[in-house]
Amino acid sequence: MDGVLIPTLVSGLLLGSLYALMASGLSLIWTTLGVFNFAHGALMTLGAYIAWTVSEQLGLGLAAGFVAGIGAAVIAGVLIELLLVRPFYGNRNMMLITVMTTLAASTILERGISMIWGPRLKQLPRTLDGQVNLLGAPVSAHEALIIVLAPAVLLALWWYTGRTLSGRSLRAVGQNRSAAALLGIDVPRTFSLAFGLSAALAGLTGVLLGSIRFVTPGLGADPLVNAMIVVIFGGLGSLGATAGAAYVIGLLEALLVLWLGLYWTPSVLFVALILVLVFRPNGLFGKAA
Amino acid sequence: MTRLLEVTGLHAGYSAVPVLHGIDLHLDAGEAIGLFGPNGHGKTTLLHTVSGLLKPTKGSVRFDGQDITGAKPSAIVAAGLVQAQQGNTLFGDMGVQETLELAAFNPRGRSGAQTRLDEVHALFPRLAERRRQRARTLSGGERQMLSIGCALMCNPRLLILDEPTLGLSPRLKGELREAIAEIARKGVPLIVVEQDVEFLLALSSRLYLVEQGEVARMIDRADAPDHKEIMDMYFGEQAH
Repeated sequence: MDGVLIPTLVSGLLLGSLYALMASGLSLIWTTLGVFNFAHGALMTLGAYIAWTVSEQLGLGLAAGFVAGIGAAVIAGVLIELLLVRPFYGNRNMMLITVMTTLAASTILERGISMIWGPRLKQLPRTLDGQVNLLGAPVSAHEALIIVLAPAVLLALWWYTGRTLSGRSLRAVGQNRSAAALLGIDVPRTFSLAFGLSAALAGLTGVLLGSIRFVTPGLGADPLVNAMIVVIFGGLGSLGATAGAAYVIGLLEALLVLWLGLYWTPSVLFVALILVLVFRPNGLFGKAA
Repeated sequence: MTRLLEVTGLHAGYSAVPVLHGIDLHLDAGEAIGLFGPNGHGKTTLLHTVSGLLKPTKGSVRFDGQDITGAKPSAIVAAGLVQAQQGNTLFGDMGVQETLELAAFNPRGRSGAQTRLDEVHALFPRLAERRRQRARTLSGGERQMLSIGCALMCNPRLLILDEPTLGLSPRLKGELREAIAEIARKGVPLIVVEQDVEFLLALSSRLYLVEQGEVARMIDRADAPDHKEIMDMYFGEQAH
């Protein structure tokens, strides 16, 4: 058992890191606009494909690929907000309408991607070559980088939303839109900012994921379901709760795969989510309403 | 005296329900005016329309010679017209100090924010004591102080206060009214909505009675009516 447990925990840590990056992007939009962006996974996919084109097809290197991938995701994210979310502000069914419009955006992006890039599998090169030892388990340096990078990005995000005025304006708009407007905060611009930042996180996650898994049109959609479990599990709200939930789900998923196999793991994760919500309706780390 | 605010023939409402039916009012530079009248007759709707939260269906709002009809709330604050909302809960999860600093985020509030923060602390020492406390844990009076403090952080050229003492104890009412009078003495033009007409008469040069979405009457302090007359305006003659 010992020989398997440590590598499993490390792979859980890696999963948790990826979920944390995805879920923090989802929760950024949720806390600011009260909207769930179902196109988040497609933005990850777009980032990975653009990065592949720039880095491999044009041969400009992985660094340029990262910049282009994240940039493309930001542009697409801001456009989604502008065209598919903004027209419905103030509508009393805004949340339901945007479920449909962002799902539509996700489908359009995914189909568009498979039309442009075709069905052949692609893969991005790793950011770092070689292996490192983590708790005695060998891990590729690329995966170790993700494990280190995720908490760093989360900390930066926490600092941004807590310490800077522009970050605080995101929280203010999320908590009381009209009061924020009356303090001179440009609410529509804040919405764009939230979508742009969230899309940047999606692009970054997509590019990182593109060298662990094959880049396919479904690259982002599969982990998105688990990232949504994470956001709800954590209690739809604070960044800390989302990050905590990401690691709990990541480790749980890795252990479940070890104990039960791939087949049953998604079902058990959903059962765990339902149980948590039955006993703690505000999520694992959520505050009582 | 130059006109600071001029509202002409303002119509507004919520989707299909019109609330304002042609409001006319004005405010001169250096003046304070009061609005009163029964609840649900359009005072808050009027203020929301002036601040840009609601788009008017007809009529115009001019601020300092500039047409701000239907402008974005952020642009209106940037021009210097600032409102502290009624029953304001602000941002429940944010600390007092954090909120005050955020209120100076707009282009207008940014320069001289530190000086203004000191002024707000001098006006409301309790906000200085509760720097790190979250807004949701504040008492009603403290929240109101924070709300007015935030409006002051925006460096207003005209400050609108919508029922600043609503639901407070008599002692706190007195404390807040003293602070509002202090703001007026510093020369900040004010529009105050209050139910206590005597307080408004002491504070402002003119009063507007808003009834059924219209200005039913304008009262100049110079020829102010007596208490009974004002009660009649409120409740109708037959109520006595």
